[in-house]
Amino acid sequence: MNSGIDLQGTFIQSLSDFGISAELAKVFWMPFPMLLMIIGATVGVLVNVWLERKISAAAQQRIGPEYAGPLGVLQPVADGLKLVFKEDIQPAKSDPILFTMGPVLVVMPVFLSYLIVPFGQNLVITNINTGVFLWIALSSIVPIGLLMAGYSSNNKYSLLGGLRAAAQSISYEIPLALSVLAIVMMSNSLNTIDIVNQQADYGILSWNIWRQPVGFVIFWIAALAECERLPFDLPEAEEELVAGYQTEYSGMKFALFFVGSYVNLVLSALLVAILYLGGWSSPIPIDMLSNLLGVDPSTSWVQVVDASLGISMTLLKAYFLVFIAILTRWTVPRVRIDQLLNLGWKFLLPISLANLLITAALKLAFPTAFGG
Amino acid sequence: MLKFLKQVVDYGKETAQAAKYIGQGLAVTFDHMQRRPITVQYPYEKLIPSERFRGRIHFEFDKCISCEVCVRVCPINLPVVDYEYDKATKKKKLNSYSIDFGVCIFCGNCVEYCPTNCLSMTEEYELATFERHELNFDNVALGRLPTKVTDDPMVTALRTLAYLPKDVMEPHDLPAGSQRAKSN
Repeated sequence: MNSGIDLQGTFIQSLSDFGISAELAKVFWMPFPMLLMIIGATVGVLVNVWLERKISAAAQQRIGPEYAGPLGVLQPVADGLKLVFKEDIQPAKSDPILFTMGPVLVVMPVFLSYLIVPFGQNLVITNINTGVFLWIALSSIVPIGLLMAGYSSNNKYSLLGGLRAAAQSISYEIPLALSVLAIVMMSNSLNTIDIVNQQADYGILSWNIWRQPVGFVIFWIAALAECERLPFDLPEAEEELVAGYQTEYSGMKFALFFVGSYVNLVLSALLVAILYLGGWSSPIPIDMLSNLLGVDPSTSWVQVVDASLGISMTLLKAYFLVFIAILTRWTVPRVRIDQLLNLGWKFLLPISLANLLITAALKLAFPTAFGG
Repeated sequence: MLKFLKQVVDYGKETAQAAKYIGQGLAVTFDHMQRRPITVQYPYEKLIPSERFRGRIHFEFDKCISCEVCVRVCPINLPVVDYEYDKATKKKKLNSYSIDFGVCIFCGNCVEYCPTNCLSMTEEYELATFERHELNFDNVALGRLPTKVTDDPMVTALRTLAYLPKDVMEPHDLPAGSQRAKSN
């Protein structure tokens, strides 16, 4: 296993050569990944919105956005611009501070969670040892923001939507965390990079989805519920609740909710790709390929190919999952709130617990296959 | 104990069945993605209305005998027939005639009952105006020759499903001279 490209190391090294101390060089380095993360996440949202509209249109035998740019790719940009220029309306009897805090609290943790998403051996913003745990902790801030938004709007639909969102997020966090725990147990680490490396040995055969099929399904269902995607979009069920907690929002604050939900979808897809589909590793290991072609895997151009392949693999897997999510949206009808809670507490929770126990048992029985 | 096991097995079966149905549904949705869009790109493409289409009403001033049958059969007595009795010829002389299409329900009774066929239906359906009063068509407006989508060089006229050849589902790129399917 080679270490791959280390951009940070190279940057700090080259600045140190100019006589700048290593600490200062690190400070200079820090804005780059942050900016890259924000831009990457935003572009991801634009791509996601476009994909959603185009795929939805295709599934309904429509054409979808067509005139804004080639194939309508600029449509999400136009939508975003429209939202930026819209008037920011504050309902008369709402709580102004909470009303503004709500969307901010929803968006911030989602963007922060991108810190732990690795696109390659060193292509991660912060390589911390509690990566997945950080993501779970951050994602439980979101329902507070939703509840805030729903409560401060002073509107019965908003309040109902906020309560539903909170109930949904809290009940689906548990099966989500339990299925992540099974993965963590197999890879002996909460670090996302370790989790991916643990799946990298035999290409597609060593991906966690083969060892954790139940966990994969539970994680995906719970992730859809966390993102409030159909079939679990009842916090904003338009037929009954107008738009749920978003009812009173307009302009940029609404855009924050909108961006937040799509960033969350991309993030969930990325995490499924990392936890279950081998992250940046390609179906056939690149080391094996380069050995087959007789190239040394540590030569620089192989490293560049490796890095770009890693990024495209991660994105490819993530967007494949986004595609599945969109397809699910037009296939499955929305569940009722009681069905939702029944599914969460009576079905997913016991099964994820059993999955965790079985994983533990298998780990003791076959330590080589299940990460002893 | 056995009963409990049976319950567990049944629950498992139900779950598997639900998963199967969701899979089938996903297959249907996926299959739709490769079908051609059925939408009509409206300002650029328009469907040809059928021959029994009830659009704007056309009126021929010279044929009208001011009998007011159209007013009597109209559900809301909408047509306004303004005439005077000409003593010399002992005939009614029509001064003006108007129908307000903002109120008309396009039921076609007036056309049906008109004894001299001075009223007829057209294919026009784009009646949108900036003001309600502009929808009140007088005899001049009613007498204008109706436009046809097939004559408009800006518009691709598309046939509706009933006018397509046998086993053809979509109207784009039909071979020239293709006939509609014969009804049995």
